[in-house]
Amino acid sequence: MAYEEVKIRTPLLLRVLPVASILAFFGVWQLIIYLEIIPTTMLASPSQVISIFVEKLSEPNPDGAVLWVHAWTSIQEAFTGYILALLVGIPLGLLMGWFSVAEGLARPIFEMIRPIPPIAWIPLTIFWFGIGISGKVFIIWLGGIVPCVINSFAGVRMTNPTLIQMARTYGATDWQIFTKLCVPSALPMVFGALQIALAYCWTTLVAAELLAADTGLGYLITMGRRLAMPDLVVLGMVMVGLTGAVIGVAIDWVEKRLLAGIRR
Amino acid sequence: MNSIANEVQAQIKERSPLSIWRFLKNRWFLHAVSTIAFFIIWDYVAFNRFLGSALARPYEVLLQLANMMVNPIAGKDLIGHIWASTQRILTGFAIGAVLATPLGLFMALNRYVNAIVKPVFDLIKPMPPIAWISIAILWFGIGEPSKIFIIVVGTFVPCLLNAYNGVRLIEPQLYDVVRMLGGNRRDEILHVCFPAAFPAIFAGLQISLSCAWTCVLAAELVSARSGLGFIILLGMTQSKPALIVGGMVVIAMVAWLTTLLVTGLEKVLCPWKREIQTA
Amino acid sequence: MKTETDCKILCAHVSKEFIQKSSQRVNVIDDISLDVKSNEFVVILGPGQSGKSTLLRIIAGLELPTSGRVAIDGREISGPGPDRGLVFQSYMLFPWKTVMGNVELGPKLRGVGKKERREIAQHYIDLVGLNGFEKHYPHQLSGGMKQRVGIARAYANNPTVMLLDEPFGQLDAQTRYFMEKETARIWETDKRTVLFVTNNIDEAIYLGDRIVTLKGKLPGRLHDVYDVKLPRPREHTDMKFLELRQQITDASELVL
Repeated sequence: MAYEEVKIRTPLLLRVLPVASILAFFGVWQLIIYLEIIPTTMLASPSQVISIFVEKLSEPNPDGAVLWVHAWTSIQEAFTGYILALLVGIPLGLLMGWFSVAEGLARPIFEMIRPIPPIAWIPLTIFWFGIGISGKVFIIWLGGIVPCVINSFAGVRMTNPTLIQMARTYGATDWQIFTKLCVPSALPMVFGALQIALAYCWTTLVAAELLAADTGLGYLITMGRRLAMPDLVVLGMVMVGLTGAVIGVAIDWVEKRLLAGIRR
Repeated sequence: MNSIANEVQAQIKERSPLSIWRFLKNRWFLHAVSTIAFFIIWDYVAFNRFLGSALARPYEVLLQLANMMVNPIAGKDLIGHIWASTQRILTGFAIGAVLATPLGLFMALNRYVNAIVKPVFDLIKPMPPIAWISIAILWFGIGEPSKIFIIVVGTFVPCLLNAYNGVRLIEPQLYDVVRMLGGNRRDEILHVCFPAAFPAIFAGLQISLSCAWTCVLAAELVSARSGLGFIILLGMTQSKPALIVGGMVVIAMVAWLTTLLVTGLEKVLCPWKREIQTA
Repeated sequence: MKTETDCKILCAHVSKEFIQKSSQRVNVIDDISLDVKSNEFVVILGPGQSGKSTLLRIIAGLELPTSGRVAIDGREISGPGPDRGLVFQSYMLFPWKTVMGNVELGPKLRGVGKKERREIAQHYIDLVGLNGFEKHYPHQLSGGMKQRVGIARAYANNPTVMLLDEPFGQLDAQTRYFMEKETARIWETDKRTVLFVTNNIDEAIYLGDRIVTLKGKLPGRLHDVYDVKLPRPREHTDMKFLELRQQITDASELVL
C-alpha cells in the first residue's frame, strides 16, 4: 500500500492539448482582430501588442516615457511599500501574538483598519499627499501590512504550548521565549505572508496608478484607454501580469533558499 | 482569545501581588485605552489642523454620515449608494461564481478539459482584475456592464481555483468506499466530489467576496455616478474630507457585515468543515 | 481436489507488482494462494510491509493482481462491487453525512426505497450498538464508534464477504479489546465470510477460525496456516490461547 501504480507514459493527446490550447487561444485572438470581428478600437491583436511592445522599448510617446521607465517606477513603488509593510507588519504581528500588552493596544486599531480595502484609501491619500510617489507608497504599505500582521500573529499563536512550558521550566524570560522560540516557530507562516502581501501590494499599486499617476504600468493602461489605444492597454496588462509573476517567482526562490531544511 | 504568554503564566506563576499592575495589563482595558486614545489623537490632530484642512474631526464625520442618510447626494441617499455598490457586487459575484465553480470542478474531474483550460487560465491568472478596468471600459463604456465585468473577472479566479483544488485534494479512498458499495462514476461525483469540495468552494466564495469589494471600489473610483466608491471620490473632488472618511467608515462596516454574513452561512451549511480530515 | 465452489473466496497464485515513478518494479506480494470457506473467519496476520493490505485490496477488487486469479463464489472478480464489504483502517466515513446517512448509502446506491433502506440501516446500527446515534455526524463520534459505523455500513449492503483492513489499528488498547469483543459478538449474530487483516497476534487468535501468516517484507509470501479450535468466546489468558500464541511467535518474525 505504500506504492502507487504510475503509468509510465501520459497519453500523447494529454501532452499535446496544453500546447494546442495556448496556440489556439492566441490564434483565435489574432484572428478576431484581423478579420475585424472586433474593431481595433476595442481590442488589439497579439501582433499589435508585440509591435507596440517593441516600439515602447525606445519610444517615449505618447505617454511620456519608455516602457522600462514605467515598469521600473511601478516596481520601485511596489517594492518600497512592500518592504515597509514587511518591516512594520511582521514585527507588529509577532509581538501581538506573544505580548498581551501589544495585542491589547494594537488590536482595536488594526481591526478598524482591516475591513477597509486599501483602494478605499486612495481618495484620502490623494487629498493628503497629492499624486506623488509617497501617496502611492502609503497605500501599498497599507495593503501589504494586513496579511503580514495576520500571518505573523497566527504563526506565533501556533507555537507548540508544550515547548513554551518546557522553556519556562528552564527559567526563560518572556522576551527570551519570544525571540528564541516563538519567532522561529512562526517563520513558515511569515513566509506565507510574503507571497500574499506581495500579491496585495501589486494589485493595490496597479489600482493606485490607474487613478493617480503620471508614470508606471497602471498609468500606461489608463493612458491607453484615454487615447483609445487598446494595444497600449493590453501591453500594460500583460506587463503587469508578467512583472507580478516574475517577482513572485523571485520571492519563492528566496524563500526556498532561506528556509532550506526547515520543514514547512 | 488570550495571548499565549498569559495562559502559560497563569498556570505556572502565582498571582501577581500588585493588583493595579494586573488591571493595567488586562486585555479589555488596553483595548479601551487604545480605542479612546485613537479617537482623541484623531480629534486633536484634526482640530489643530496639523495636516491642514485635510482631516475631518470624528464628530464632523458622524454629522456628515447622518446628513447623507437624509439628504441625497447625486440623486441617492446613503442607503441608495450602499445598495448601488452591493448590487454590482452581487450581480458580478453571482455570474463569476456560476461560471467558475462548475468549470473548476470539471477541470479537476476530467484530464482532457484540464489540459485544455489550465494553460490558458495560468496565463490569465497573474493579471490583477483591476488591470482589466481600462479594457472593460473600452469594451462596455462607463456604465454598469463594465463594472460588473470587473467583478466577474475578480471572482472568477479564486472560485475556479478553489473548486479545482477542492476536488483534487479529496481523499482518494473515499472513492473506493463508493465503489465498494456498488456505485459507479456518476455516484462518485454526486456523493463524494460535490459534498467534499463544498467547504473549499465556500472558502473560494469568501475570498471572491473580498476581492469583489476591492474591484467594485476601484471600478467606481474610475467612473461612476453612484456607489460607495463614488462617494469617497466625490469627497476628494469636492475637498470634503468628512465625506471621504465617512465613506470609508461605511465601506468598512458594510464589508465587515458581509464577511460576518458569509462566515455565519458557512457555519450553518458546513458544520463538519473543520473535521473533514479526521472522519 | 477441492472444487472451486466449496470456497467462498479463492485466491490462486496471486502476485502483485507496482511500478514506481522511476520505472522500478516493486514486488509487493508473491504467489499467495488461499481459500476461505463460507462463514469462516479467516485472519491474515503479518508484520508491517508484508503486503497484507494490498492482498485485501486485490480481493476487494480495488487493485488488479499482476498474475493469479481471485474468485468469489466461483466467479472471477474484475473490480470492486457490493458483494464484498470493505471496512477501512482510517474509517473513511463521509463527514457530511450522519451515521444513518453513512450506513444507508449502500442500499441507496443500489436503488432501494427510502423506507426499506432506513429499516435495513437501523437494523445494522442497532447490531453494532450505536442505537441513538443515528443523527450524529462522524466528527462527533469517538474512534471506536466511527469504526462501528464503518462495519454497519459494510454490513448494510448485504455483502457475501466482509473484508476488514486492520480496522482497529488507530484505536487505543482499551478500545481495541472492546472492539474485538464487539466484532466477535456481531459476527456470531450475523454470520458472514470474513477476511480480517491485522498485525496483532492476540487479535488474530481471539477472532479467527483460521490464521494465515505472511512473512517477508516486499514481497510478502505465505508462511503458515493455523487452525484455531478454541471455543468461543475466547479468553486472552487461557492456556491454549497462550500456547497457540507461543507457537505462532516462535514460527514467525513477529516480536511476541
